[in-house]
Amino acid sequence: MFEKVLIANRGEIALRIHRACREMGIKTVAVHSTADAAAMHVRLADETVCIGPPAARDSYLNVAAILSAATITGADAIHPGLGFLAEDADFAAAVEEHGFTFIGPSPAHIRLMGNKVAAKDAVRRLGIPTVPGSPAGVPDLAAAEAAASAIGYPVLIKAAAGGGGRGMKIAHDRGELADMLPIAQNEAASFFGCGEIYLERHLERPRHIEIQIIADGQGGIVHLGERDCSLQRSHQKVLEESPSPALNTAERDGLGALAVAALHEFGYKSVGTLEFLYQDGEFFFIEMNTRLQVEHPVTEMVSGLDIVREQLRIAAGAPLGYRQSDIKLCGHAIECRINAENPDTFAPSPGRVTDYHAPGGLGVRVDSALYQGYAVPPYYDSLISKLVVHGKSRNECLMRLRRSLEEYVIGGIETTIPLHQRLVGAAEFIDGDYDVHWLERFVGRPG
Amino acid sequence: MKIGGRSPPFPDAELVRALAALLTETGLTEIEYAVGDRRIRVARAAGSPAPLVSSSAPFAAGSIEHPGAVRAPIVGTAYLAPQPGAPPFVRLGDPIVEGQPLLIIEAMKVMNQIRAHRPGRVAQILVADAQPVEFGAVLMLIE
Repeated sequence: MFEKVLIANRGEIALRIHRACREMGIKTVAVHSTADAAAMHVRLADETVCIGPPAARDSYLNVAAILSAATITGADAIHPGLGFLAEDADFAAAVEEHGFTFIGPSPAHIRLMGNKVAAKDAVRRLGIPTVPGSPAGVPDLAAAEAAASAIGYPVLIKAAAGGGGRGMKIAHDRGELADMLPIAQNEAASFFGCGEIYLERHLERPRHIEIQIIADGQGGIVHLGERDCSLQRSHQKVLEESPSPALNTAERDGLGALAVAALHEFGYKSVGTLEFLYQDGEFFFIEMNTRLQVEHPVTEMVSGLDIVREQLRIAAGAPLGYRQSDIKLCGHAIECRINAENPDTFAPSPGRVTDYHAPGGLGVRVDSALYQGYAVPPYYDSLISKLVVHGKSRNECLMRLRRSLEEYVIGGIETTIPLHQRLVGAAEFIDGDYDVHWLERFVGRPG
Repeated sequence: MKIGGRSPPFPDAELVRALAALLTETGLTEIEYAVGDRRIRVARAAGSPAPLVSSSAPFAAGSIEHPGAVRAPIVGTAYLAPQPGAPPFVRLGDPIVEGQPLLIIEAMKVMNQIRAHRPGRVAQILVADAQPVEFGAVLMLIE
C-alpha cells in the first residue's frame, strides 16, 4: 500500500481523499493555491506545498508544479480527485512517466472515454445502446444537416472533447442548426481546446441514470447500482438519489449487468461511471466518466463501500476481493449539493462563513470542508457542501433530509439550502416523478 | 509549507506581533527573543509610535509584504550555487544589480535561475542549499 499520496485537488473532495488515506495509515500531501492556504484539508494534511497563485491554470491545472511537489515530498501516488486534471490523459501519463502511481484508470482509457464520439463507438461495439447520433464528428454544416435528417429533429449539438453537461446547444430545425453550429464549434474550441462537435437526438423528457462501476484490472469488476441525477440546472446536477424512483429491479439488474460485461471486456481498471438517458423504458449511453464523481457518497451510503478506499486499494494492485453477489444495496440515499450561491438568482456568494452548524444523527453525512471562520474563495466552483442522507425507505430518507436541511446553518454567505428545502417539499419530487427538464421549470416558478 | 516534519526558517508572524505589542505595553525600545539558534529582535524606531521589526534580525517581515522579498515563482528544490562545489551565486551582504542571478530552483530536472527584481544588497538568505521550496516561499531579502 502507498506510504504517501499527493492530493491534486481542493475543497471537499480533497478532504474526502485525505480522510480515506488517513484511515489506511497513508500520509497525505496537500498541494494548494495561495487562496487555499487555510483550507481544511491543508490544515489537516501531513505535508503541504503551495503550488501557485489562485488561478486554476497556474495551480490546480499546473502539471509541472504538481509533479514537482510530488518529487520534493517523495509521494508514491497522486490522486487527481475530480474535475481539474482528473480526466486529463496527458497528466495521467506524465504522472506515471515520473514514477508515481496515478490513482485512476489507464491514460489510454481516459483518452478514449474523453472523446465522446470515440466513447460512444467503443461502448456500442461492446453491446451498450447509445443515443442515436452522428456516427462521427460533423465538420461542416452540410454534414450536420445530413446527420440531423437521419437522426431526426430536435438535435443536440455537443462537443466531442466536452462532457459534464457543458457547451451543448439545441437545434429544433435546419434554421437553428445553421445558427447554432458555428457558435457550438467556437465554444467547444475555447472551453475544451477542440472544436470538433457531433450531433445527438435530443430526448424530450429523459431521466439521467448512471451506473457506478469498480474494476480491479485483474478481471474483478462489479457495479454498485445506479444513481438518478435528473435534477439538474444548466446541466449541472443539484440533487442525486439511489436507487432511482423510476427503475424496477429487472431494469436495474439488467443495466448493471450490461455495464459490467462491457467494461470487463474493455479491461477497465479503477472506478468509473456510465451515464445514460432513460426514456420510455429505454436506456441510451451518453458518456463515461473515468474518475470519482461528486455524488459518489450516495452509492457509499446504500452499498456500505468506501469508493475512494477502493480506488487506493486497486491502484496499489489489490484485487477487488468481492463479487457482484457480495454487493448488497440497502435502503435509499439522497445527496443535496449545496453551493455558495443565492438560492433564487444563483449569483455566486463567496465570503466568510460566520456561523457553522452541520446536521448530524443516524443516517446523516456531511461532506464539506467548511468551518466557522473559513473564507470561501471566489476563484473556484461554488460547491461548498454535500448533505447526504440515508434511510431504510425513500420516505424515511425524505423525512430525514427535510429535518437535516432545517438544521443546517451556514451563516455569512448565501447558499442553496433554501432551494433544497423547496425541492424536498415539491409534490413531483416527493413522488419521484421528474425528468432532466423538471428542475429548470421548477426554479422558474414563482416561490 | 509543511513538509517532512522540518519547518523552513520563516518568521513566526504571531510571535512578531506579540513582541511588538509587548514593546508598546511596556514602553521598552527593544526586545530580543531567542530560542536555540532562532532569534528575533523587535525595536522601536526613535520618535515613531509603532515598533518596527529590525531588518538585521534573521527573521524579518519578509513573509508578509517586504518589498525586497525574493519569492519562489515555482515549486522545486533551491540551490545556492550554479553547480555542486561551485561558489554560491551571492553571499550575505553582497551588492547586487537588478536581473542578477541569485539562486536556482530545480523543478522536473530543469534549472530555473531566479534573478533579482531590484538592485540592492543581499540582506538575508532564507533558504538552505538543496532545500525544497513551495510557490511564494521567501528565498532572500534584498535591501
